[in-house]
Amino acid sequence: MQDNREVVITGVGVICATAGTVEEFLTSLREGRRGIKEVTLFDCTGYPSQMAAEIADYKPENFFSQRELRRISRADQFVLIAARQALADAGLNRDGAHTGVCLGAGAAGMSSAEVYHRQLLAGKRPRPSLIVPFIPSYATDQLAERYRLRGPRFTITTACSSSATAIAYGAELIRDGTADIMVCGGGEALSELTFGGFCSLQVMDPLPCRPFDAHRQGLSLGEGAAVLVLEDKERASKRGIPIYGELLGYALGGEAFHITAPEETGKEEARIMREALRDAGIAAHEVDYLNAHGTGTILNDRVETLAIKEVWGAEVYQLPISSTKSMIGHCLGAAGGLEAITSLLSIGHGFIPPTAGFEQGDAVCDLDYSPHPRTEEVTIVLSNSFAFGGNCTTLIFGKGDL
Amino acid sequence: MEAVAITGMGVITPVGIGKEAFWQGLIEGRDGIEEITTFDTQPFRSKKGALVRGFNPKEFISPLQIRRLDRASQFAIAAAMMALADTGLTIGEDIPAERAGIILGSGFCGLVNSEAFHRGQVLRGPADLNPILFPNTVPNAAASNASIALGIKGPNSTVVQSFCTAEAALMFACQQLLARRADCMITGGVDELSPILYRGFNELRLTAWDAGNGERSAPYDRTRNGFIPGEGAGVIVLEREQDAVRRETHIYAKIHSIAAAGGADPVGENVARVIATVLQKGERVTIDLIDGAGNSSPRLDAAEAEGLRLALVARSAGIPITSLKSMTGEGIASGGIRIAADLLIMERGVIPPTINYVDPDPRCDLNVIRERRTVPVKTILHTGISLDGTYMAILLERNDGVS
Repeated sequence: MQDNREVVITGVGVICATAGTVEEFLTSLREGRRGIKEVTLFDCTGYPSQMAAEIADYKPENFFSQRELRRISRADQFVLIAARQALADAGLNRDGAHTGVCLGAGAAGMSSAEVYHRQLLAGKRPRPSLIVPFIPSYATDQLAERYRLRGPRFTITTACSSSATAIAYGAELIRDGTADIMVCGGGEALSELTFGGFCSLQVMDPLPCRPFDAHRQGLSLGEGAAVLVLEDKERASKRGIPIYGELLGYALGGEAFHITAPEETGKEEARIMREALRDAGIAAHEVDYLNAHGTGTILNDRVETLAIKEVWGAEVYQLPISSTKSMIGHCLGAAGGLEAITSLLSIGHGFIPPTAGFEQGDAVCDLDYSPHPRTEEVTIVLSNSFAFGGNCTTLIFGKGDL
Repeated sequence: MEAVAITGMGVITPVGIGKEAFWQGLIEGRDGIEEITTFDTQPFRSKKGALVRGFNPKEFISPLQIRRLDRASQFAIAAAMMALADTGLTIGEDIPAERAGIILGSGFCGLVNSEAFHRGQVLRGPADLNPILFPNTVPNAAASNASIALGIKGPNSTVVQSFCTAEAALMFACQQLLARRADCMITGGVDELSPILYRGFNELRLTAWDAGNGERSAPYDRTRNGFIPGEGAGVIVLEREQDAVRRETHIYAKIHSIAAAGGADPVGENVARVIATVLQKGERVTIDLIDGAGNSSPRLDAAEAEGLRLALVARSAGIPITSLKSMTGEGIASGGIRIAADLLIMERGVIPPTINYVDPDPRCDLNVIRERRTVPVKTILHTGISLDGTYMAILLERNDGVS
């Protein structure tokens, strides 16, 4: 066994409300472009919010044949689009004997299953292929089969932290020698169920979400996919491919507190961030930018801020923080992956992405939430993903060198 | 690889709840499969399921909590509690909460609430949404509710990987333990069989039906025509071997090696590849028993047989194989129940039978155990197969007190 190999990122791919390519994503982050608008995918009349970061001008037939579209859900389509970009970016061909796939999933094929269920409730006979992609591992299999990747396959299903955990575990499979390359990330498509679900919890902002702002009223959902190619550093170095950065460390834990609410003092989230820092072997003050979970809910942003304060102490006011969700909404199963790419682009291009829409903080949320994008050298980024069930994942990325 | 020891187990299954009832059911060849009466199967070709009967959540969970927990979460909590009691660990006392983790495979946990919530949306509209349902629509509700109930604060995750869901969770849990991110990992799988899931399996034509030979789970039998959907939970406790030895706790078995591979075609060769990998990982070992993934599906069982033949060459026909799914049915996370059975088989030296094996399929040229057999079992090869292209193999080794 080849223990403790280092893991670098050699390719990324992205699709979300503000971007269909990595270049567009970079531009949108640098400009603080917001993709949160009125939902057109389904009827939101009667819900407290009608807003989401929908991929509005998406035409599936530009990417897939009619036959393919019968068996893959909207979320799977996003994953495959992002995967194509990421694998091309990493210069990888098909047929990877030691290439595995580890994706996170949220509602997965729910958008297709809902069509099935709606027809069923109306007394019709829906087509069974609508439920084929319901199982969250379906996207993982589709991606692996399309590129004939023959390594291990895993699908992580911890709601909002799924794809962050998928990156962490993917890295471990490289570290311990199980795989040389892992294709990681995750996808999400807007669905009625998740939309109504967050409405039922009264955590949806009727306006585009404003993470950390004093007037925030909740989150905005989003959709998209992020795929990252993780690779053994030595292998990447040998083939001379440029890298986006390195996964320096992570932590994975449970709050054991409540199924939806975070532990209110932030001590559990603080513990996970500390563990990640320890794992990466760096001190808190060495972090140049904190990519927050930052959903925009009153509770999350307050507790996350308290947790950050606990870890950074007096130095906390020097730490640039921002929420990618302010621009692309909360993409649930894809969120951790999209935020990982945000973190890597921040390192590669030397800028702090903004918390778009942030105007003023409150008594607790009084940190530097980076309301405007700014140029700054960034070598280490910490990214948080917290989920229902108290599933917390923190990833730490560094610049890395080959 | 540093050895991982399995030191506790908790089971809720269609053939018995709790270690002893489960074991009794297995060695008697008790058929956990019955005609479903709890919901209407009239629209479907299949009529039977392997449901858990007689589960009383009150034995494990307070009445106030029960109302807020779906059946999958109740299974997860109860099985995890049994497993921890079995190994004699109290989280927060014997082990710091932060050093104990949980990674479960989720067999459509959350689907019941998803269906109920969406039904409300469709039929009653957005004004009357039930906020209690939504939090438990996520597949990680079971593991997370167990972490809350038991105060587990270490690595916490949920995995779904087609029919290898529990095996995939186990591999992730082993890794966390070996990377010293936890000192104790609770892992396994939980399945909940709901009407909507039953419908789904039927719609996709995956389930067994009565085509003249009865509706049965008949792994490796010539007349098999699909699996019988099942439910339950199989949860085990993992510790690094040295820690378990130091703690002087009972070690059921050690995980000798574990492997995963992908690729939908050719299935048989891919099954062979994962078995070859798991055998390569350690020194040469004799396999005393194969705990087969065979679930009564025509293609899957044949693929498993071919994979075993290719990987083990002359040995495969001689090594005893049994499929517990003949009694417990199939859930995508039923690997947890199977691993728990593997532990008891090695501990007690009895191989439970593959029931309904009447008419051997020549395409499954295997030494299938029809009647229970009393024989020492030191090693078990546990296979996991998904025709969508995920394969797992686990080599378990009885603990004979040698550290």
